[in-house]
Amino acid sequence: MANTLRLYLTCIRNTLEAAMCLQNFPCQEVERHNKPEVELKTSPELLLNPVLICRNEAEKCLIETSINSLRISLKVKQADELENILTKKFLRFLSMRAEAFQVLRRKPVQGYDISFLITNYHYEDMQKHKLIDFIVQFMEDIDKEISELKMSVNTRGRLVATEFLKQFI
Amino acid sequence: MAAISVHQFAQCITCHAWSPDHSMVAFCPNSNEVHIYRLSQDKWEKVHVLQKHDQIVSGIDWSARSNRIVTASHDRNSYVWNLEGSEWVPTLVILRLNRAALCVQWSPKENKFAVGSGAKTVCICYYEQENNWWVSKLIRKRHDSSVTGVAWHPNNILLATTSTDGKCRVFSTFIKGVDTKDSRTGTSSDSKFGEQILQLDLSFSWAFGVKWSPSGNTLAYVGHNSMIYFVDDVGPSPLAQNVAFRDLPLRDVLFVSERMVVGVGFDCSPMVFAADERGIWSFVRFLGERKMASSGSKYGSQFSEAFGKLYGQSKHGVSNDAVEPSRSRGGVHENCINCIVPLRQPGISTVMRFSTSGLDGKVVVWDLENQADLSDYL
Repeated sequence: MANTLRLYLTCIRNTLEAAMCLQNFPCQEVERHNKPEVELKTSPELLLNPVLICRNEAEKCLIETSINSLRISLKVKQADELENILTKKFLRFLSMRAEAFQVLRRKPVQGYDISFLITNYHYEDMQKHKLIDFIVQFMEDIDKEISELKMSVNTRGRLVATEFLKQFI
Repeated sequence: MAAISVHQFAQCITCHAWSPDHSMVAFCPNSNEVHIYRLSQDKWEKVHVLQKHDQIVSGIDWSARSNRIVTASHDRNSYVWNLEGSEWVPTLVILRLNRAALCVQWSPKENKFAVGSGAKTVCICYYEQENNWWVSKLIRKRHDSSVTGVAWHPNNILLATTSTDGKCRVFSTFIKGVDTKDSRTGTSSDSKFGEQILQLDLSFSWAFGVKWSPSGNTLAYVGHNSMIYFVDDVGPSPLAQNVAFRDLPLRDVLFVSERMVVGVGFDCSPMVFAADERGIWSFVRFLGERKMASSGSKYGSQFSEAFGKLYGQSKHGVSNDAVEPSRSRGGVHENCINCIVPLRQPGISTVMRFSTSGLDGKVVVWDLENQADLSDYL
């Protein structure tokens, strides 16, 4: 189980190293504007082929690149309904605070749970290998956090039920 | 070590150019200004700030003989600066562009300059004495996408351009009244302005960084698919060679001599390509040390720690030189190198020194004097 996670993360890391070659590029459609081309998709020659890396049917990662921006969308494993709800709430919590993370996108791309948007400005301000480390670390930690949350929900439910039913004994 | 001097000028440098005597350097610190620094007694001091543009300055070129600086910016404008007394005075350039200007270069005779733009056009500008401004002639409807690089042939007429549609094109830029017909060049049939001599469709990704060899016989440009293309005998039947390399793509190239090219790009270290006696080009090596990047993460498994580290790091930006060696990509630059400029000694066509600048804000001067294995290509 842990083996496939390592391979998956290594594959994503290598793809990001190749995809994260961004440069400042002014908009071709509107004068004096500078927009992330991967979001607009108005000039097809400025976009590169998207890469989809699947660990299994439930977990995948879509990396779309363009000349000045890169979008990474993740789908996290959700085994049952409870994990579904927990993931949604947790990732929504993070996405709403996207400004603090700078590279996070406020809404995930359709069909995915969370998305990152990295532009050439992030590439200029921050170091490339640190950005990649952040994304990979995020993916590693998200699984741990969801399982921890699930366990704590179950534990709390059990405790509450025990206490409540004690009065009927 | 090939790098002889390293200086951190700003947090991020877009482009730079040297004065004719190499004592001053002009660069854009990722803003709408151009800073000029002078080297006096081993210390760099800021002597001028050129403020006229509204947006980031994307190209700077300093002419060697007439001592003029031309700047082009994303705000669709370009200015030619003349040194009058101790001030740099801008002269208006009528570019007639409706999108950003991406690159600029003086022609070898310094009576014209070319500007590549996001409007899919190239502007060739020449000086009009009566009105004291520079007017332009546009090469329109030839490019399918933004023009990222321009390079002049030594004969002052031919211009090579690269574009994000992946093609490299060569045009004739003969302007009546500015250029004189030279009977020796033998290209009199191509003397119409804007006539396309050649179109090279070798790359299936974006093309950048085009340069001519010192004799004008060979053309080199890079594609974003990690390939560099060499074209000999530019004319009706060109001879093209592709060299693929396994590292990240390049952004710009420089012909050091007829048979040696230095490329710079996302790998943070200059790469040397050379041609052997038969004229076959290949990758030789990197300049400077190259350390292997370690991919182990040293952060704890707590979210907040990881986010805090990234956030804290981003405040220091790339000027934080206390990164451990195992984590750096290697070499002198810490981020992508996007500009390489020769430091030519007058009269010598081989370039022994050149400088690079990048997104880490450093300008590094490299010397090829004591690189023994490269000396037979020079």
